[in-house]
Amino acid sequence: MISEAFIPAVTSLGAVALALGLIIHYVSKKFHVEEDPTVTLINDILPGVNCGACGYPSCGQFAEVLVETKDSSMSCPVGGSDLAEKLGQTLGITMAEPKPQIAVLLCQGDNDTARETAEYLGIQDCWAATQAYVGPKQCRYSCIGLGSCIAFCDFDAMRLENGLVVIDKDLCTGCEACISACPTGVLVMQEKKAERYFIACNSHDKGAATKKACDAGCIACQKCVKVCEDDAIVIDRFLATIVQEKCTACGKCIEVCPTKVNCIRLENDLQAVKQKKAS
Amino acid sequence: MKTFAIGGIHPPERKLTESSAIEVMPVPAELAISMNQHLGKPAKPVVKAGDEVKKGQLIGEADGFISANVHASTSGKVKSVKPHAHPGGQYAMTVFITPDGKDEWAGGLDNAPVDWKSFSREEIVAKVKDAGIVGMGGAGFPTNVKLSPPPDKNIDTIILNGAECEPFLTADHRLMVESPAEVVGGLEIIASLFAGQAKAWIGIESNKQDAIDALKKHASQKGIEIVVLKTKYPQGAEKQLINAITGRTIGEGELPFDKGCLVQNIGTAVAVYDAVCRNRPLIERIVTVSGMEISSRKNVLARIGTAFRDIVDFCGNLSEKTNQVICGGPMMGKALFTLDAPVVKTTSGLLFMNNAAVEKSRERTCIRCGKCVSVCPQSLEPWLLGNTAELRKFDEILDFGLMNCTECGSCTFVCPSKRELVHWIKYAKALVNSRQKRKSA
Amino acid sequence: MESVKLKVSYAPFVRSKDSIESVMYNVALALAPATIMSVYLFGMSALILTVAAIASCIGFEWLMDKVRKKPASCLDGSALVTGLLIALNVPANLPLWMVVIGSFIAIAASKHVFGGLGYNVFNPALVARVFLLISFPAAMTSWPVPFSVDMQTAASPLGILKTDGIGAAMASVSLQNGFFGIMNGSLGETSTLALLAGAAWLLFKRYITLTIPLTMIGSVFIFTGIFYLIDPGTYASPVFHMVTGGLVLGAFFMATDMVTSPISMRGQIIFGLGCGLLTAVIRLWGGYPEGVSFAILIMNGFVPLLDRWDQSDRKAKHQKKSETK
Repeated sequence: MISEAFIPAVTSLGAVALALGLIIHYVSKKFHVEEDPTVTLINDILPGVNCGACGYPSCGQFAEVLVETKDSSMSCPVGGSDLAEKLGQTLGITMAEPKPQIAVLLCQGDNDTARETAEYLGIQDCWAATQAYVGPKQCRYSCIGLGSCIAFCDFDAMRLENGLVVIDKDLCTGCEACISACPTGVLVMQEKKAERYFIACNSHDKGAATKKACDAGCIACQKCVKVCEDDAIVIDRFLATIVQEKCTACGKCIEVCPTKVNCIRLENDLQAVKQKKAS
Repeated sequence: MKTFAIGGIHPPERKLTESSAIEVMPVPAELAISMNQHLGKPAKPVVKAGDEVKKGQLIGEADGFISANVHASTSGKVKSVKPHAHPGGQYAMTVFITPDGKDEWAGGLDNAPVDWKSFSREEIVAKVKDAGIVGMGGAGFPTNVKLSPPPDKNIDTIILNGAECEPFLTADHRLMVESPAEVVGGLEIIASLFAGQAKAWIGIESNKQDAIDALKKHASQKGIEIVVLKTKYPQGAEKQLINAITGRTIGEGELPFDKGCLVQNIGTAVAVYDAVCRNRPLIERIVTVSGMEISSRKNVLARIGTAFRDIVDFCGNLSEKTNQVICGGPMMGKALFTLDAPVVKTTSGLLFMNNAAVEKSRERTCIRCGKCVSVCPQSLEPWLLGNTAELRKFDEILDFGLMNCTECGSCTFVCPSKRELVHWIKYAKALVNSRQKRKSA
Repeated sequence: MESVKLKVSYAPFVRSKDSIESVMYNVALALAPATIMSVYLFGMSALILTVAAIASCIGFEWLMDKVRKKPASCLDGSALVTGLLIALNVPANLPLWMVVIGSFIAIAASKHVFGGLGYNVFNPALVARVFLLISFPAAMTSWPVPFSVDMQTAASPLGILKTDGIGAAMASVSLQNGFFGIMNGSLGETSTLALLAGAAWLLFKRYITLTIPLTMIGSVFIFTGIFYLIDPGTYASPVFHMVTGGLVLGAFFMATDMVTSPISMRGQIIFGLGCGLLTAVIRLWGGYPEGVSFAILIMNGFVPLLDRWDQSDRKAKHQKKSETK
């Protein structure tokens, strides 16, 4: 038996629901924002991370500007060449090849190689630590190792290992968000190459001071400069740097580098380096 | 008794060295004189390894308008010029001098006192500049720049800061008791630069009765008024001192000269007197060596460049429980990471503490008790600044008055949740500034 | 000199002795007179109930910390205070299993669900009381008579006011007894004197200020006073309203809870006025005889808005200042 209260309740609530639905439908039609369907199409292809690496604050804006200007030099570093191809197909233009880049840490001073100062008990953040003192490591150019950059990475490409930040070169999209997060400037962007040697040190201290602070620092002994046949290594203020355009990855510099832990590296992956050294 | 209108706290005063007469520390075996002893650009070294220098000789030249000269604290030979630890926590270019034991002044310096009235205004400011005098209360602002405010600013009030509100510190107190004539002399010289316009005051906290008496004797005939201030922290902060004595408020982004005021530290006034009347550059200062973990506490007159390690050896009796050494006072000082750092012109104190709380206490959530708001002397909401900084919302934090914070530490002192409010605020300021630099670049 | 092991942290390096624990345990101390009074009036069952509330609150706090993988905070005093307040908000003869449910609601469902200490929007003890009131209305409104050996129950004076009118209500309790606490009610509603003594301690320690209690009690007084003057035959006197029910308990111990009340003076005044007005309206014309719990919970919901208003005012003032420079 349907109770007497049931029918009025159902009908009244149903009527209210119907009325509200009609109002919502009307409002959505009346206040509808006209959007270019191409923009929506492009926006769907884009990664949707809003990282800002392209120079625009959001993927949506990148899509708008691209559809409006059809500027083929615009590129999305996160999506790489696959994305550039898709975008080109959708718009009927040939998009420029994006220059993939990757974040690289110019430091190898982990808890085993870098000498300590005093224990840090403040807010566990690299910027916060620099407000108190030079950091838990003696070298003032070092990676402080408290992971401020990791919080900024949208792609989970960074982790802390033994007091040093490690960047996964396969996950890093080159969005540059971590660069502004680093107070010592030890994170830099470099062009992504299949085989690349770089000197993982940023210390402009004189050789003796560098050695005192860390076993893995560049002491600017110039052995690598002398052995390099491509003139690819330059020394500036007691620090050697490999000029990427000239480097042929022959490996001679690594053989002559005298620092205890070789500061010239191929991979940006500490594990790979350690395995190579072990073998 | 006069005091500043808003906020403030009363931490335990611990003026354990207030009756200890100043002890002169002999020149140590090596001096490490930093090129960075002031606000602004570090001085440029003008000596190199192997050079012989005399006491008071220029070894670092002011680099630019906001900078200051640095002088050798004794005679000897320059051992090296290289980066070295600085009490501020970073590294700075430092000139290392090996003393020759003779302690000879360079020619023309350390004369018998002459009457400062014989010098013109420009000559006085030039002497202050040459002597490398900076604000010795802790900020290190070049004094000659402060004494030359922009011409459109009308200075009608000159205040000497004798508050010394930080716990433990008694350097200024002893200076007022033992050299009141020089303190008053320095104030007279500074006031003479604004002759006819400005009234001179000395503000002293009520816990320094002997200093008040000593200065009253010397200041009575000279039109200088001694104001006794309520012992409250941060009475010695520039903005709060001005508010207590004149009732004026220095707003956000404003400087004291915008409201007609000029404030100088007691030590700076004595240095001005020595520079003008005796041609002495700034090469030494009083450091209060105190704290709960050192048993022989002293007020030490140390040469600039003396390593803290040597001061400890001079005082002796350091407890093994020491786990923090503070340069400055416990409210706004810096925790040292090495005792190799040297005394600089702004080192007011060296405190040896056992901070048990720092080992175990962790920050907890804000319980919205509002104590921080009730003690903030700048009418800010520290809990809000701390939370906004932790959430990294750097766009809105400026509107909550971030830049008006003087980092006095009153809020962090009272917080029951032990939140690191000042540290979060400093963190936010650093990130906001770095973002602005990035935008304008 | 051998080297000392230095630790670096940031200024200031001295702190006051206050901590969350000292604040909470002082609040618990302030609630002690009322708790002792409740045991005096209602016997051992009151004591057992209080202990059960405290124990279950601490237990649930420990459990929720474990579940949420947070450091253990069950002994920081906040669970103790919540337990005491729950006990003071219920009748002395409430079955213990209902008390435990109340503790669960307070700790898990209205504190940890929002993020734990400092994050909750609503006063946990009041959420528990209202939950119990709505779920078990009969058990929550049968109040034991003081000093009765076998837990005789009767309606509270406010209850009588709602159902039988003013004559019966005034007859049920003398104002003097109401002040000292010899009347029916929950464990904490009874002795105004004991509550005021505790509140005086908190005021002395400066953990609470008079702003919220005065505005709340004041607005109840004035509002009920106006209607008493209009029609003393129907409406009870404002003094009656002050000594009966949970007004003093609510105004001094629940509305002033730091986490759930506004920080600014303007916010606190609005909050107090709102609590008072809502209490009066519910008491005079609402379906429930007692309105303090509902009033405070409703105003708790407005606190984030009041804070946001203060922040936007501060922002606007700051932006105007930077423009004029």
